[in-house]
Amino acid sequence: MNVLILGGAGMLGPYVARQLAPRYTLRITDVKPPAEELPGEFRLLDVSDLDGVVEAAEGMDAIINLSVLRRHRKVAWDVSARGCYNMMQAAVTHGIRRVINTGPHYTVAGRNITECFDFGIGPDIPPQSGADLYAITKSMGLEICRIFSQHHDISVQTYLFYNFKDPATIQPGEHHAPFVISWENAAEVFPLGLEIDLDALPSRCEVFYVFADMPHGKFSNEKTKRILGFQPRQDVETLWRRTAVPPHL
Amino acid sequence: MKILLTAAGAQRSAALADCLARAAPEEREGKGQSPNKTHEIRLTERVYVETEHEFAQCGLGHDRSTNLLVRGMDAIIHAVDPVPGEDVSTQIDTATRCTYNLLMAATEEGVPRIVLLSALELMADYPDHYRVDERWRPLPRTQPPTLSAHLAEQISREFAREGKLAVTILRLGDVPTETVAAAVHGALTNASAWSIAHIGEIAL
Repeated sequence: MNVLILGGAGMLGPYVARQLAPRYTLRITDVKPPAEELPGEFRLLDVSDLDGVVEAAEGMDAIINLSVLRRHRKVAWDVSARGCYNMMQAAVTHGIRRVINTGPHYTVAGRNITECFDFGIGPDIPPQSGADLYAITKSMGLEICRIFSQHHDISVQTYLFYNFKDPATIQPGEHHAPFVISWENAAEVFPLGLEIDLDALPSRCEVFYVFADMPHGKFSNEKTKRILGFQPRQDVETLWRRTAVPPHL
Repeated sequence: MKILLTAAGAQRSAALADCLARAAPEEREGKGQSPNKTHEIRLTERVYVETEHEFAQCGLGHDRSTNLLVRGMDAIIHAVDPVPGEDVSTQIDTATRCTYNLLMAATEEGVPRIVLLSALELMADYPDHYRVDERWRPLPRTQPPTLSAHLAEQISREFAREGKLAVTILRLGDVPTETVAAAVHGALTNASAWSIAHIGEIAL
């Protein structure tokens, strides 16, 4: 399977590339060169360049979009909204049926709207990003993906993350978001999305929360485990355990 | 009332500006007493537009110029009509980023009300024999004008949800300017923080 990764030279991209490289032929793009050598072909590409995205998607069987820009008031829209539009146009142009999009958890839950008040928050609540720039740009990207999936035979899985950790550097009790995962564990969800029978998905636009099993119950990753078969590692528990994690866990 | 009206280059905005600059409906009908019922109109567009009204060219970027554009306004009537010749990608950028910048500037400058001129065509994909109203989910297509109108609605909704602005969405069908102006007048006095109104019928 040929896989195009947009924004693959960022923080998560190298983990995903290493995870996929043994089984997939990768074409990785980013607006900047990678800081480390990545497997597969690499192209410099700005996702707001429609023609460039369409060209990069030629010959691909799936697209993974890891592009992100959080705080710049123009580039955030270029990347998160226009980038999704361009990606979906590229999928239509080349008949690519499998798209995996990514974003932060508040793409649907909002930064302050649900998290302050609720528990058991799942990914299928009506999107309510609020006006925060990062959240609303990603939310509009998700909405563009949803609309395209309703008009074309394209299945979009959107994986939402919150807080990434390196287990080796976690300090016991250090501050963390209520939605944490290690970089390596996060990358493990992508081959599941590339392999799942698209007819096994409930619809052509599905959102998944990707994070470790956390005991506070604020968010739910149940859907991700049930549908994708995702297996959270127990590698970030030092964050909330009072005592060291037993070595057998 | 001081009103900023966007998309000055579009025929509908120009006609609406003329209509709003005349006396408010109660005055035209001889019911009003105060000459202050007329509106002061400022038009804006991303390119220069010749107009008899006050005009300010603005790219609706995130710089200070957008704040200066909206400062002192009592309301903003925002239309997401494209400038002629704009490609689809630019139209989507305008409907999303520029709408966000405009509403953020309005929030920062204390403009209390936004009226978004959207498209009733958003509901066109429902069967003709359905009684579709404002409570139904929009069905945008993957291209402007419905995609851009829908995204602008979604962005406006989030500002309303957070209580930053009061927003009225007017989904306009094939209606004369006077009907649009009457709907806008109603929206300007609407006390709701968030409301949607369908105006006219879907153009066939």
